[in-house]
Amino acid sequence: MVASNLGTLKPLSPLTSTIVGLNRMMMVPVYLVIEDWFESIVKHLVPSWLYEVVGLMGANMFLDTDNFVSSSSSGSVYLMRTCQPYNDQIHLKTTTEWKNIHKFDNGEESPCTTLAVYEKNDIITVGEDGCINLLNSQSQRILRKIDNADSCSIHCVIFLKHNEILTSNLRGQMKIWDLRSQNDQPTNNFMLSGDQVTPTCLTYHPTQRHLLITGDDLGALTTWDLRHNTYPINVLNAHEGAISEIQFHPDQPDHLFSCSSAGEIWHWSTKAKTGSSLMPESDPNVWLAHDNVKNKLEVFTLMPTLGKSINTLDLSRNKVICGCDNEAIYLINGVTLC
Amino acid sequence: MEREVKTFVIPNELCKRAGITATWLTVDQLSVRAFEKRNIKLPDAPSNFLSDTPSSIFHLRQEVILFHPILRKLVNESCGVFIAVQNLIVNKNPADYKVELFKMSRQYRSIIRACLENLQDDLSEAKGQEKEQLQNYITIFYSVECIWHLCEILFVDIIPGNLVLSQLLEWIRFHFPKHERNAATMLASESVNLETHQDYWNTVFGSLLQGRVKIVRALLRPHSSADHPTFKLVDQVLRAMPICSGVNGTSINEFNIQWRHWTMDVQSKIDAKLFSSEKHLDLIMRLVVGEEKAWIEIQDHCEAWYEFLAGWMFYTEPTAKSFELGQYAKRSITKMRVANNLKHLDRVILAAMEFDIFQVIKEIQHMTENGWFVAHLSDLLFHSSRLTSLEKEVPNFSAEKLRESFILEYGITLMGHKSLWPVGLSYLDHCTHDGNQVIALLLPRIPLDNEAKTLKIIREAKKRDLNDVVQCICKAQGMLSLKRGRIGNALCWALKSQDGPFTSYLADKFLQDYIKNGKLGSTDLLDNLGSCMLVSDRLIFLGKYFEFHKLYQTQKYKEAANLLISLLASKIIPKYFWYVLLIDAIPLLESEELLFSSNDTFTIMHCAEQKEDLPELKDKLNILKLSAARNLARALTYEAQNE
Repeated sequence: MVASNLGTLKPLSPLTSTIVGLNRMMMVPVYLVIEDWFESIVKHLVPSWLYEVVGLMGANMFLDTDNFVSSSSSGSVYLMRTCQPYNDQIHLKTTTEWKNIHKFDNGEESPCTTLAVYEKNDIITVGEDGCINLLNSQSQRILRKIDNADSCSIHCVIFLKHNEILTSNLRGQMKIWDLRSQNDQPTNNFMLSGDQVTPTCLTYHPTQRHLLITGDDLGALTTWDLRHNTYPINVLNAHEGAISEIQFHPDQPDHLFSCSSAGEIWHWSTKAKTGSSLMPESDPNVWLAHDNVKNKLEVFTLMPTLGKSINTLDLSRNKVICGCDNEAIYLINGVTLC
Repeated sequence: MEREVKTFVIPNELCKRAGITATWLTVDQLSVRAFEKRNIKLPDAPSNFLSDTPSSIFHLRQEVILFHPILRKLVNESCGVFIAVQNLIVNKNPADYKVELFKMSRQYRSIIRACLENLQDDLSEAKGQEKEQLQNYITIFYSVECIWHLCEILFVDIIPGNLVLSQLLEWIRFHFPKHERNAATMLASESVNLETHQDYWNTVFGSLLQGRVKIVRALLRPHSSADHPTFKLVDQVLRAMPICSGVNGTSINEFNIQWRHWTMDVQSKIDAKLFSSEKHLDLIMRLVVGEEKAWIEIQDHCEAWYEFLAGWMFYTEPTAKSFELGQYAKRSITKMRVANNLKHLDRVILAAMEFDIFQVIKEIQHMTENGWFVAHLSDLLFHSSRLTSLEKEVPNFSAEKLRESFILEYGITLMGHKSLWPVGLSYLDHCTHDGNQVIALLLPRIPLDNEAKTLKIIREAKKRDLNDVVQCICKAQGMLSLKRGRIGNALCWALKSQDGPFTSYLADKFLQDYIKNGKLGSTDLLDNLGSCMLVSDRLIFLGKYFEFHKLYQTQKYKEAANLLISLLASKIIPKYFWYVLLIDAIPLLESEELLFSSNDTFTIMHCAEQKEDLPELKDKLNILKLSAARNLARALTYEAQNE
């Protein structure tokens, strides 16, 4: 499955597309749900400012167009608001601050590894201390805290339903938690793989939420059907390095985007259906197919590899942005989706 | 190579009295503290400097200007070009990549230019000390660009016929853009009597010196007395000036003849005092024919000796070859009488013009931009085989080693930064001799801020097959977890690197914790150990013992009993844990249902006898023996009945 460079995609040349230099080792995953002004937000606010306030960033996620949550390696979580008062400069304001909600038993700060949001209010944060915190953007209180949810550090979290989350730890052990239940035990528990593979990212299918895809340290994409979750449906050995992030296109679920620590950024799309249209497709979702998934997918590289890890990506309509280890954000315009 | 030694004084009284010692902290940090040197002859007694007052520890680090946000962009972008250069060399043969190398050189320069622009932008907003600092950076990188450009012309570019002059003029124009800018504004103003402009003649002579004859003519036209015959004559003369360019087919000899004719013609006009009415025009004419006195007059117009050099060469030695450049350069320095106060930049330029690459490299090492320049330039010169050619001339000189030493130095500098270390790695990767060893030394020294970073470092180590480093980092992270009371996580890191001894150490901790509080921690982890358990015997035992607990708790006594027997029979039980297992056997022996066969019971009794001396077992031994005997009776009866 060697990715080819599609003619219609125009990757920006590495030098000209450098929008902004970033200050961190880990680029902030900027989950942009915002529409057209996201170019300007990238230009103005992502860099140094955040860094000075919160230290090394873990993850950022937008709740709506103005508010976003961001986690830090010092174990604190911040709800921030972007404002654009009089001039073109966009400013950030911290509206709520949950200080040191992740910490180790010996009192040290624990990095808050990542967070997930549901609708506009619910926020789940997880950390290296193995804790899960449920927050609400309207409240300063921690609504629910599961201490020692995991004996290893939790690296990924995702909302399955408003009351159900899935976490995954350093060893690839995945747990499903029911937030309503009062006991601090997971409702379900399964392994990514027996060989100590660390999952690096999680995502679900935009229309079929029971379909979950995980990316791991070794560059494989694993598909799960959460209706029967003990074994993965299929495993695709995809990227060279660790997969940093995967995302389905929110409007066009046939398209998946992934990026890796080897500097690749790929666009996966299902092949146009060939053969007789009289034969109804038995399974409309290729990811759920047990075999030959590779033959049903086409992969394009969106950007020539820079030799540096791409740490995050996000998309909106036909634009993809990604943050790279060379302290730059790249914007790829005009990705063909059809 | 002689080096200036810089001395830093540690401002501490104790350090001053006792002396100091230092250790490396991270890649770029040095930790200094007071230390009294002892040797074996001194008595083994507390130091005289011992006191109750707190003493200080000092952390020192070199200031690296490249870590400034604007310059970081330069670092990152130039790394991209550097990698492109290395790929170019791998994939093509030398004949092909000469042209490409020239392009790369230009890319490097455009990055420097972009950086200078960014610095300029920030300068306008900066204040105070920051402004001074930015100004300083601009000066440094301006010189870098200037030298790079010249080196590009002389060492990287392939100039047809070695006629270096046109490139040289271009270089001068690039670095003295003042005249061009002034001329452009003057011409754009479309006024009729330009000479009233205060810079008018300055600009005319400046343009003349840069070989822009057309601009000179254009500037003379709006002069209020442009209709004067002298002006017309000058215009005519300048128009007739032959231009040497290798491209349009005129051979050098042909051009030389034309040139001689033209100068003779102009000289005769000067001698006829045709221009004497206008002293400026007269000077122009005397300059173009290369009259010594005229060139002395014009010296004050030149900001630098190389500006003078280019102009002088244009009118007197238009067909000079690049190897003659050094000689002319020296001559202009003498003429300008600046030989005694040559600045650093002047010295480098002179060395380059004399083709003394060694001197160039030596001088640019002393520029305070942390080795960025010397690393990239020497790499480029090496690949355009400028350095290799020196190997024949200088004994014991290896071009490759020279290149590598600079790149190594630069890479190590970057490794000290919290976000630029991956960039540093890219450079170290291209050091064939020592790169890998240096990486192996430096990777474990990168601070482990969070696990994501740790994983990243491990990935880099794995990519280079540095398994020792992987193990070392995993262990460091594991110990960190242990310190934070996250023993499960520590075990996880130990398993990640398949570190047997560390795993055993942690498994022991688990078991000892169990002995202490009667609870096994991190059950979610122990439940899912799977095949990784095989890393160490102790972990296998821990996993099995946990399984036994689980079976017992879910009331699967029969299976639990079987497991217990197989554990007792195995040889993997830690000494301190024997008694726990034997005590665990008691309730099973006493259970209503018969769980142990007679053979099993013999095993238990055998073990109990062997371990009789264990102090922990003392008060339980009799109960154990009793229940074993009772169970044996039951088992024998049962077995006899079923035979």
